[in-house]
Amino acid sequence: MITKKVSKKDIRKLLGTWNQECNVIVPSRVDGVVGMAAWDNQDISFLDWYRNTVIPPKSCFLPKSEVMMSFKKNENGYNLEVPTNEHWQVIFGVRPCDARANAIIDHVFAVTYDDYYYISKRRNTLLVGLSCTNPYDSCFCTSSNIDPTESEYVDLMFTDIGDDFVIEDFTGGGKALLNMSNTLKKVTKADIDKIKEVKAASVSKIKKTVDTENADRKLGSLFNDTDYWERISAKCISCGICTFLCPTCFCFDINDEMIRKQGARYRGWDSCSFRSYTRMPMENPREEKWRRVRQRVCHKFEFFPMNLGINACVGCGRCIRSCPVNWDITQVIAGLPAEAGIKSGK
Amino acid sequence: MIITQIKQRRKELDRDKNVYVPHMVLVDKIIEETPTVRTIHFHFKDPELNKEFTFEAGQFAELSIFGVGEATFCISSSPTRNDHWECGINRVGLVTAALHRLGVGAEIGFRGPYGNHFPLDIMAGKNLVFVGGGIGLAPLRSLIWNVLDNRDKYDKIAIIYGARSPGDLCFKYDLDTWEADQSLNTIITVDKGDAMWKGREGFVSEALRDAAPSSRNAVAVVCGPPVMIRSTFPVLEQLGFMPDQVITTLEKRMKCGIGKCGRCNIGNLYVCRDGPVFSYAQIKGFISDEY
Repeated sequence: MITKKVSKKDIRKLLGTWNQECNVIVPSRVDGVVGMAAWDNQDISFLDWYRNTVIPPKSCFLPKSEVMMSFKKNENGYNLEVPTNEHWQVIFGVRPCDARANAIIDHVFAVTYDDYYYISKRRNTLLVGLSCTNPYDSCFCTSSNIDPTESEYVDLMFTDIGDDFVIEDFTGGGKALLNMSNTLKKVTKADIDKIKEVKAASVSKIKKTVDTENADRKLGSLFNDTDYWERISAKCISCGICTFLCPTCFCFDINDEMIRKQGARYRGWDSCSFRSYTRMPMENPREEKWRRVRQRVCHKFEFFPMNLGINACVGCGRCIRSCPVNWDITQVIAGLPAEAGIKSGK
Repeated sequence: MIITQIKQRRKELDRDKNVYVPHMVLVDKIIEETPTVRTIHFHFKDPELNKEFTFEAGQFAELSIFGVGEATFCISSSPTRNDHWECGINRVGLVTAALHRLGVGAEIGFRGPYGNHFPLDIMAGKNLVFVGGGIGLAPLRSLIWNVLDNRDKYDKIAIIYGARSPGDLCFKYDLDTWEADQSLNTIITVDKGDAMWKGREGFVSEALRDAAPSSRNAVAVVCGPPVMIRSTFPVLEQLGFMPDQVITTLEKRMKCGIGKCGRCNIGNLYVCRDGPVFSYAQIKGFISDEY
């Protein structure tokens, strides 16, 4: 519900209020890469340059690497210690595509077994969305049925209407955030008209489209077409950046380290692009590159829909923007042969 | 204040159990099966868990050596014999090598049991054909003892097991017992015998073809290295077994064991979460290609 707006010059004050109670996370450049990082209580220049992060906000719940437990050996055996995640965070500036992506990987981490590390961070987080009014050429969220100015997966949604952000609140948590502040203003009839204008304009800025209709069925019939996958994967260099930066990619590795009698078990992002990902001592089911590319495409557009009824692609375009060899997943989906069983041409 | 409101909102996720923290188990006994395979017997450090812990034949666990890592093993003892638990360990990598360095009394981590199990309800009243190769006997052995401890619930039972050489045969003490059991048709084969070997030579699939167990009212359970599985399925088909009469348990690289880390999928199925026990009907479309 649209109830309030905040002047752009008051954003620092608003974030400052929230920052007193929880950690405010904002788009930041860390080592030259844009990701979500703790706010310094001062800088709001990201409002001018921020389009979307390079590293998706999934990193707030599934960090690039994290300690799962530390252990110490003593005379009675091992003593295990698990880090706690009880701090509260507000992530400001989440784009609707990434908000959807978080909701998608929630299914992975909260089904059958709860993943303590992911959920303990996720449940302590409020998402403040920011309408995407300046998308990249490579963005194709509308093809995943996402409106770049709307989201059902955030607590608050901010939309830039010039001097002000109009705020929509969706949840109790979002309302609570608004109630903490005294810098908000009432919206006017003119603001409502303006936001409609901005929303329409934003949607029309997404020029890239891809038809994902029946992609799962088409991929199913192509699964054993080795020639097709070899051709599609030819230029891929298996660097894995598409998977690391994908907001719905969640694969991780678990490893131990120990020096003398102390050590830690930690986990970090892994990628289906790598041979080592599935390598077993005797053999590797995905030794060849085309099998790994096939896994990535089929996981997003065939296996995920089979299991959860939704494509695991939100159209954020990160994999396209970051690929060093211009591999474009939309071209693969668009180029799928139309009828089941049809052999692809060379 | 805000925090209480959020806490209520996220209540549905508020469960503080952390499945990644292993239970501690102590090694009671080590049996050297072959030059590269050993069986460890263990019990839980927590006496309560020793009483409460149950599992089903076919389920697996993550064993961990702290500082080295975790690896996936099926529980190779039978659920009908819950006084201790066993895992067969083939020395092939970092964690398994560390498990081979252990002595009796060592403390290791245990997470599990995970995955589904063999469908004993479907197998009841049927003729059973167990086909195993190498260390693949470990999960079958759990099932076979489970079945033998309830022998009257099942009809004819055939056990066909093979390894590369006589020295690679695992669980020889079990093989001896089964061979002596007149209610079982036990066939042991090795790819290549040695001077001492008096038994059969040849692949498991060939032994199966020669034994030709009837597919009528039967269930075949197959476990072994992928090359054995791939050669066994066609023979079972020739013998008239339908894909849903053939059950196998698969092995893939795993990290989490609980359907999160992503790597063990075959198509849309995760071996850890949807398996490791599958019917051939479930994985037919992928088997030749990704397994």
